[in-house]
Amino acid sequence: MKRKLFIFSLLSFVIVSFSTVNEIQFDVPNYFPKPVYNFSKNPLSENKIQLGRALFYDPILSRNNMISCASCHSQFSAFTHVDHALSHGIEDKIGFRNSPALMNMAWQKSFMRDGAINHLDAQSLAPITNPAEMDENIAHIVTKLQTSKLYPHLFYKAFGDSTITGEHTLKAISQFMLTLVSANSKYDSVMRKQSVFNEQENKGYLLFKKNCASCHTEPLFTNDEFRNNGLKIDTTLNDLGRYRVTKNKSDSLKFKVPTLRNIEFSYPYMHDGRFKKLSQVLNHYTNGIEKSKTIANELQKPILLTANEKVDIIAFLLTLSDKSFLFNPKYFYPKEVFSDATKD
Amino acid sequence: MIHSLKIFLLLSFVVFTNAIIAQSKSTINFTFAYGSVVLNFDDSLNLRNDSSFLRLTALKFYISNIQFFKNGEVVLEEKNSFHLIDANQIIPNQILVENKQNIAFDEIKFDLGIDSITNVSGAMGGDLDPTKGMYWTWQNGYINFKLEGISKLCKTRNNEFTFHLGGYQQPYYCLQTLRFKTNNSSFINFKLDVLKILNQIDLEKTNHVMSPSEEAVMLSKIVANAFNLLQN
Repeated sequence: MKRKLFIFSLLSFVIVSFSTVNEIQFDVPNYFPKPVYNFSKNPLSENKIQLGRALFYDPILSRNNMISCASCHSQFSAFTHVDHALSHGIEDKIGFRNSPALMNMAWQKSFMRDGAINHLDAQSLAPITNPAEMDENIAHIVTKLQTSKLYPHLFYKAFGDSTITGEHTLKAISQFMLTLVSANSKYDSVMRKQSVFNEQENKGYLLFKKNCASCHTEPLFTNDEFRNNGLKIDTTLNDLGRYRVTKNKSDSLKFKVPTLRNIEFSYPYMHDGRFKKLSQVLNHYTNGIEKSKTIANELQKPILLTANEKVDIIAFLLTLSDKSFLFNPKYFYPKEVFSDATKD
Repeated sequence: MIHSLKIFLLLSFVVFTNAIIAQSKSTINFTFAYGSVVLNFDDSLNLRNDSSFLRLTALKFYISNIQFFKNGEVVLEEKNSFHLIDANQIIPNQILVENKQNIAFDEIKFDLGIDSITNVSGAMGGDLDPTKGMYWTWQNGYINFKLEGISKLCKTRNNEFTFHLGGYQQPYYCLQTLRFKTNNSSFINFKLDVLKILNQIDLEKTNHVMSPSEEAVMLSKIVANAFNLLQN
């Protein structure tokens, strides 16, 4: 009897230890707000993150097994799609928006340019099913993963169950995306008092705080809300933004305020990628605002900046580049995982 | 002889145990009708008294938050209460609710659809897994009720009609709460009459509702009224 009790206790200890030891704490810089994502419902673990990383880079998520999440979200460009105003997906089909950069997603209340997605776990379903992106469905993906050589084992390591479900697939992708934290730019080192801005950066920072920070709020450089920033509507797209989701006229032409972190690398800019350079963006705010009923309150009064002041602001914006994020090996294509899968 | 006695005792034990298990659950059963006939997905159905034939291809919906009342007070409620009902399946659509103490009740309440909090809580498993085909992806959220079919009244591609009803935010909140008095605490039998729904939809004009909208709210109310509790 005692022996049985001992074995039972030992097993319980091992199970509890397995489930807790593998959990990873999500580190939040002390000048960042509390994350929005509820980690208690999807506790981070190294095996889940690595599974999510494999899924993120694996074209198995698309109908023709050719397009992965990374196809439109490349690490070197802050996980967006450079060189294309409108991102292209499966069979070179052109989408109707510029893919957003991916970072600091644990702090976001909603996703996509119009906030159509209310939770990070559900976010990847949108590109997976979009006919111009991956054109697949989650039920078929689960079947493909289940019959693959690689994934039943990876799911077992991550979730203790080799039977693959939609829930586990989505939660694993979330885990990898949650690790995409950019908080190590020059700006961050200044905030941590490990560095100082030069004179031009400092001038730019003061101008930024006066003219831009009400929407691009520090330290995430977005207020995570929706604004009409005065862009003239592109009549080839007729994209009304947030209105598409709420069908509320007061939301017409409003789009999610994007983060400015790593803005140096995440061109082109705006929901339709109409601007290739930061100077064009600043010129829009000083000279290009089109007034309409839903224009942002912050843009009711004109923004006045001299040419030199614009250069100063750009100098500050470049301090938001985070090389340790853009080239972090933790986010690289997991060649070791995929090369293992090809061995028999 | 002893061997036969052992088998008899074993069988008696199994029957007795099963009887206890059966007693300790309340069964909620869903049947599907098209007017006065049992709904059959292979049948060609008559919509009006003319030649407007139709055929159904899908009928699925969520039942959630099941509660039981006695004299207006909650006496039993199901935990983690989310069930996907699929009318086009061979096995009976039955929900077995734990009722270990055989609590008697005189009223049942449930939601037709998925509540707002669950809709904003990320990826779920079981009947709520997005692989079940009851989840929108372009604007995420659960489809509460799905009815698809073919009718010559629909001047659409392949004469198809598609009703995917859902929406978890006002003003297009589609979840419906249904309450029924019942005189039976062990077997509660519901009938959903699809003809009651289709009789109130002009399929020539309304044949595709697939996003949260005023129409989705209106149709959700029509669907809720098509449920009947069959008293024993």
